[in-house]
Amino acid sequence: MPALLSIRDLSHTYDNGFTALRGVSFDVEPGEFLVVIGLSGSGKSTLLRTINRLIEPTSGSILMEGADVSHITGPALREHCARIGMIFQHFNLIDRHTVLDNVLYGALGTTASMASIMKQFTPEQRSEAKRALEIVGIVEKANNRADALSGGQQQRVAIARALMQHPKLLLADEPVASLDPSTSHSVMQYLERINKEMGTTVICNLHFLSLVRRYATRVIALKAGQIVFTGTPDQITDEWFRTIYGEDAMEVEIR
Amino acid sequence: MKWRVTPGASILDAVTGAYLYASMAHVVVPELLGFTTTWTSTDTILVVVCALLVMLIGAMREISLGALFVRGGLPPEANTIGRTWTQHLGWFTFSVSVLAGWILTDISPIEFFSGNGLNGAARIFGALLTPNFDIIGEALDAMVVTIFSAFMATIIAVPVAFILAFPAARNVMNQGPMERAIYSGLRAILNITRSMEPIIWAIIFAVWVGIGPFAGMLALVIHTISSLAKQYSEQIEDVDDGPIEAISATGATRLQVLWFAIVPQCVIPFLSFTIYRWDINVRMATIIGFVGGGGIGTLLMQYQGVSKFHEVGTLVIVITAVVWILDVASARIREALK
Repeated sequence: MPALLSIRDLSHTYDNGFTALRGVSFDVEPGEFLVVIGLSGSGKSTLLRTINRLIEPTSGSILMEGADVSHITGPALREHCARIGMIFQHFNLIDRHTVLDNVLYGALGTTASMASIMKQFTPEQRSEAKRALEIVGIVEKANNRADALSGGQQQRVAIARALMQHPKLLLADEPVASLDPSTSHSVMQYLERINKEMGTTVICNLHFLSLVRRYATRVIALKAGQIVFTGTPDQITDEWFRTIYGEDAMEVEIR
Repeated sequence: MKWRVTPGASILDAVTGAYLYASMAHVVVPELLGFTTTWTSTDTILVVVCALLVMLIGAMREISLGALFVRGGLPPEANTIGRTWTQHLGWFTFSVSVLAGWILTDISPIEFFSGNGLNGAARIFGALLTPNFDIIGEALDAMVVTIFSAFMATIIAVPVAFILAFPAARNVMNQGPMERAIYSGLRAILNITRSMEPIIWAIIFAVWVGIGPFAGMLALVIHTISSLAKQYSEQIEDVDDGPIEAISATGATRLQVLWFAIVPQCVIPFLSFTIYRWDINVRMATIIGFVGGGGIGTLLMQYQGVSKFHEVGTLVIVITAVVWILDVASARIREALK
């Protein structure tokens, strides 16, 4: 049985010549809560975006349940995207639309273009969107405009949008980096519940080691586009910390 | 000798040299000394010499007049001698331009303040200030035609501009050389059609469909499409990438990404541009009337053609009032949309 996700020798160089990933390889097993750490510019965001193919890698391969998705295009690519949920640092909701509509947009990948533009979502899709909002605890905001919500609430809407996709894999790119500490834990706990109760595999980029220790089942550290550490959160010693973040780094706690 | 400034800066310096020679030798000096002149082969040689001279002087310094207008052409440690030369050259070029402009525009204070001139002014102002309100009905009818031809031009142009705006936006057309080519081609066409003044289009359409509001409206449609498509597409290029990523990540088609990630970010600015464009179109429709675009412009041309200045006065009042009201109204609406 192949791993859920298998990354092999993945490299990516942007058009401007910046090489973000240099030969990254690792496997992700179903049910993991894998956290990727590293400095800004170490390639974390690029890595996540190659997995759901928002970015096409320069070389190497991405195997999703054994199938090579590194260079797929068209309907196959959209199908691949639709199976993977993604949440972002800046939530990336459609500000002027309602919370419920934003959640429904999670179903765009499985809805015909014209039907979706006419807002012809099925009653099943609508009740499903409501359920997704219940899971993240803000169903009462369904008819509010998305930009009327606080940051933490917006991120929960974004999680609900991702849940609409019934994702096998959920990618989270710095999901709490623009939230305050208490809200951060609330959002992380929703991700944890989705991981534990629904069995969704999570790959999450994080900055704060205290969050990593609390939520990760496994950690990968990137430095200048290469993996410099793989292990469990408790294996990140002070020595490893300095290797990953540089000699002068000091750990900042978030509680 | 060391070449210090960038090639782009040198080209601008050379153009400055050539311009200085041409305007000095053929406009300013002949006027001041009272002789006329024609362009000879000696002039061709001298213009090149001047161009090379200014270019060389600029090139040997860290700073030149041209370097000021080229991105990255100005190093932080530009030397003071270079600065002085550049300042002198800059002021000299500016002064020559003012002199040449004065001469070429036939500016004549004597004409402006002569008894004959002032009499003419008094006559036309007198007529304009005692408007003949007998034609107010005719004037208002024509004004309504103008307002609606501007309105229809805007309405017809909006959907076309909306559709054209997407292939004319760089961040939409980013997949492969084919899309790049469509983007560049479309942008070029829009720029060319927009550079052709609506009055030119009105002349063309007046011949095509005959003199009248229809010709004027068609002229405005063309200009409005290219202007709005450009403004819309620039707005599209300004949208936040985040929602585009998020919608793409759900497996959405490109059409869905356009509709759900880009359009919501653009609706309000698009509306604002459109209302402003209608406002502009009313003014343009008035001018276009002069060349056969119908409405109040045509009426104005007819009355001024037979020197009926009391009637012209009425038309001027109507036009001014409408333009002023629309200006205030469109500003209010655009403010409310923010």
